[in-house]
Amino acid sequence: MTSHELNALAGAYAVDALDESEREFFEAHLARCAECAAEVASLRAAAAELSHTAVTAPPDAMRGELLAAIGRVRPLPPRVIGRQPRPAQRWLWPAVAAACALIAVVAAGWGWQEHRQLAGHRLSPSALSGVFDSPDVATASVPVGSSGHAVLVYSKARQRLLLIGQGIAELPADRTYQVWMLGPQGSATSGGLFRPDRNGNVLVEARGDLSHTAQMGISVERAGGAAQPTPGAIVADITI
Amino acid sequence: MTISPDGPDTVGDMRFTRASGAGVRRAAAGAPEPAAGAEPAELQPAELLAAAARGDEQAFAALYDLTSPRVYGMVLRVVRDPAQAAEVTQDVYLQLWREAARFDPELGTVLSWLLMIAHRRAVDRVRSARAAVQREDRYAAGQLDRPYDEVSEQVQASLDAQRVRNALDDLTDTQREAIRLAYFAGYTHREVAALLDLPLGTAKTRIRDGLIRLRDALGVSDD
Repeated sequence: MTSHELNALAGAYAVDALDESEREFFEAHLARCAECAAEVASLRAAAAELSHTAVTAPPDAMRGELLAAIGRVRPLPPRVIGRQPRPAQRWLWPAVAAACALIAVVAAGWGWQEHRQLAGHRLSPSALSGVFDSPDVATASVPVGSSGHAVLVYSKARQRLLLIGQGIAELPADRTYQVWMLGPQGSATSGGLFRPDRNGNVLVEARGDLSHTAQMGISVERAGGAAQPTPGAIVADITI
Repeated sequence: MTISPDGPDTVGDMRFTRASGAGVRRAAAGAPEPAAGAEPAELQPAELLAAAARGDEQAFAALYDLTSPRVYGMVLRVVRDPAQAAEVTQDVYLQLWREAARFDPELGTVLSWLLMIAHRRAVDRVRSARAAVQREDRYAAGQLDRPYDEVSEQVQASLDAQRVRNALDDLTDTQREAIRLAYFAGYTHREVAALLDLPLGTAKTRIRDGLIRLRDALGVSDD
């Protein structure tokens, strides 16, 4: 399907008129196409206006039932992040083993290898050993959101980095995780975009010069990524 | 936030430090912080939702009062059966309560989000029902000749409704019908094409073109 044909699905998507397979297909596209994501949001807002023509008072009994019901339901916490990275050693190796088993990776951007929509993709042994074998291999770990963790395994000498995530929260179709490398002068350079697979696993490999990077961050941005991290959207920061 | 022992790198990184700080403040905003002097009824949906996210049931009730006629009305129009509409609407508001803290204002208004969740659920409901019984096809097909606003139940006269109807009047007949069948009758674009006797693949274009015209006429945007 061409991007023009894909774009034509935006309206049908906004009013839930795609069948299931088309919906999944289009959502995968939305994750990478900021333009389509913005269009969908605006068309959804337009569709929402249609409800003005259907305004109907709900049954009186519903209000009481609902308010009684919410008393028994605890609201979910916001998707924000704890501040203290946990020691890596405790869970690094199981995490690596699990993440390596089955991974879908969508990565793009500076120095990042792209593995678009490769469900079940295995990172090559050479990519792993290129990092693990290096004399200066180091790790850092950090909570991501309320449920996830990420481990960075990196070698500044070999200019390689693996980001391994588990329990990474799913995002709406028009959002993406974005990795940032933070330089000494306060510059933030995008390290690429990723989305977790269905099981919340992430494994991305990056190559690039990390010698001037002391800190990395992960933020949630609109699909397609941002030029700079959005204030308030940081879900993890990692000292390396 | 962790500060690198090597200091300067992190300290010099003003931009990121500020961004992280905002993230932390957002986390801290999970703590109750009553809006001084404001009655729930005076607040906007976004403010009510923020209060609900902190566990304020009164704010949630006010949000329900403010929004439920549109949500319930839309769901009723889609599923048609009042008992099912009530069920779907309750589920939607329970989900809203549960996920209030996860609402992202950057993705649109509270109402747009709420209606999106409600519409998806209502459509799922009619599609699964339709898989068993095909009678709605004939029902909807019988509606095609009737003017748009005559098929609505209990439409409350309002300036907003009039504004939307005026905007709908400016669409082509095909655009208007395609949108109505998709949004209010819960048909897929393929089913819409069949119902309107359109060439394969063109219904989705009509829906999109119509929504774009509607959006521009109504001056809505996602932010």
